[in-house]
Amino acid sequence: MSTAALNQLIEAARLDPDHVFSAPWEARAFAIALQLSERGHFTWDEFRDRLIAEVGASDRIRARDGTSAPGEYYDHFLHALERLLQEKSIALF
Amino acid sequence: MSDHHNTDDSGPAARVKALEALLTEKGLIDPGAIDAIVDTYETRVGPRNGARVVAKAWTDPAYRKRLIADATSAVAELGFAGPEGGHLVAVENTERVHNLVVCTLCSCYPWPVLGLPPVWYKSFAYRSRAVSDPRGVLEDFGLELPREVEVRVWDSSAEIRYLVIPQRPKGTARMSEDELAAIVTRDSMVGVAKVEAPRA
Repeated sequence: MSTAALNQLIEAARLDPDHVFSAPWEARAFAIALQLSERGHFTWDEFRDRLIAEVGASDRIRARDGTSAPGEYYDHFLHALERLLQEKSIALF
Repeated sequence: MSDHHNTDDSGPAARVKALEALLTEKGLIDPGAIDAIVDTYETRVGPRNGARVVAKAWTDPAYRKRLIADATSAVAELGFAGPEGGHLVAVENTERVHNLVVCTLCSCYPWPVLGLPPVWYKSFAYRSRAVSDPRGVLEDFGLELPREVEVRVWDSSAEIRYLVIPQRPKGTARMSEDELAAIVTRDSMVGVAKVEAPRA
């Protein structure tokens, strides 16, 4: 299962080994989350809990439907960040 | 499909832009510091740090012992510390044991020594199969191990993050620590590849 999907990602990493972010907004989202945690607005553990929840929900859908859509990690990341900021009443969406 | 020219209003790039503007206006973030963080993780923190750790472990037996006993402290000796750098455990590949690291829940990864994880590490395809079919995953990476080699899979978490110390390849006895650091790859420190000796 999923071998083709993984092979595609492995090949992409071979072509561009230093690739960390796929788009500038991913880098901004990461840096915003990291800076907010460094400034004490939340802990990285709190953020990670939301990220795990977002990733887990997506995993369950994929496991059930057998769908495969790689490369959406930072979508989960952004949802997790928005959710946490809302819960902490730092920003409302 | 929409007729609107500006269809990205609710897309992630627009949401991040709006979020950054809002947080800046509230004085909660400093956009300059955001640029600095991006630059740090795109260019300064990366697997070259981990490669130096591995090369030192290969050439300095006392350091190797310290690394295996307490990896967080041992990498800090080389100046590598920071977010996601705590609770680091180094696991060593040998003739009999091959170690493979995954984070099944999300993306836990030792940033100070490896930088941010590659896309495949965070993918469902990797996370869902690394535990159930590690040899199959390794074959996808082009690594076939003899059957007698035991594959150990380590699931990283908020509590523990792992760094694989790959085997030093044969034919590298005369290489310096710096030369060795240059051949250690990120993939070898996650356990999906071996380190290859440079071709003569």
